[in-house]
Amino acid sequence: MINKTFIIIISICLIQFFSNNSYMVEPDEVLENKKQELRARNISKNIRCMICQNQSIDESSAPLAKDLRILIRDKVKDGKKDKEIYKFLTDRYGDFILLKPPLRLNTLALWILPFIFLAIGIFIVFSYNKKSKKI
Amino acid sequence: MKKQLLIILSILFLLILSTFFYLLIIERNPFELPSNLLDKNVPSFKAESLLKNENFISSKEFGNEIILVNFFATWCGPCRDEHVYIKRFSNEEGLRVIGVNYKDNSSNAVEWLENFGNPYSDVPVDRDGRIAIDWGVYGIPETFIVNSKGIIKYRHVGPITKKIYKKINLLIKEIEQ
Repeated sequence: MINKTFIIIISICLIQFFSNNSYMVEPDEVLENKKQELRARNISKNIRCMICQNQSIDESSAPLAKDLRILIRDKVKDGKKDKEIYKFLTDRYGDFILLKPPLRLNTLALWILPFIFLAIGIFIVFSYNKKSKKI
Repeated sequence: MKKQLLIILSILFLLILSTFFYLLIIERNPFELPSNLLDKNVPSFKAESLLKNENFISSKEFGNEIILVNFFATWCGPCRDEHVYIKRFSNEEGLRVIGVNYKDNSSNAVEWLENFGNPYSDVPVDRDGRIAIDWGVYGIPETFIVNSKGIIKYRHVGPITKKIYKKINLLIKEIEQ
């Protein structure tokens, strides 16, 4: 019985691990030039869907996400660099459109706090360990 | 030493807790994002006009008077709800109202304006949504206030309600002064 449950859990984990994320890129959006398409896909994966907010535009079926995917592809075809495309989008929608926020003064806490908490956690674990060894 | 550290950690924890609590109690909509175009010049664009035979050229229209720019579509329910307030704005002195018809069927839009009244002095057509992207629009209806120097001073996402109408009116008076 335990073995059966164990196998089911492992199977679910494996399915989750090897399954592909669903992408919403429609066939008519895909560029013929594979290199350009790959670049557009990579950029789209880093751009937040402003409607869904927790999805990238690559995964979102929202109309604005589709418009932005097409816009990115147009810019890639026009020979724009990745930096220029990101700048175009952040100029209009702010840094919030980036799924990875850049390190700035107002995002400093966001980047540093996890490390501070990690250090505090390690400190607590070590001091607790010392105490328990004494006992 | 350990006591001091404990006090520092407690203060840090309380600070973080109070920040979260403050964010919870202040009146804000976490889905409403601040516009990145505030205090910047209006994006320049050229578009076909829904009601006139000539093209709408933004550089000719902005920069002379206070303008309210409203992104709307006939398929958008909340746009219908706020239409009564947009009409009220069009009656205000010293304020021009421009409507950007977003990804819509033009004949439907003309019919819609005939049925519910046309508050717009001009209606540029945004067929593919590119004008909206240039304005940082992410969900219509959206309304912008542009001052007489062509600088965006305010953006509201969602339908205009009585409360928002009053807020925008006050803001326009402030801009006028």
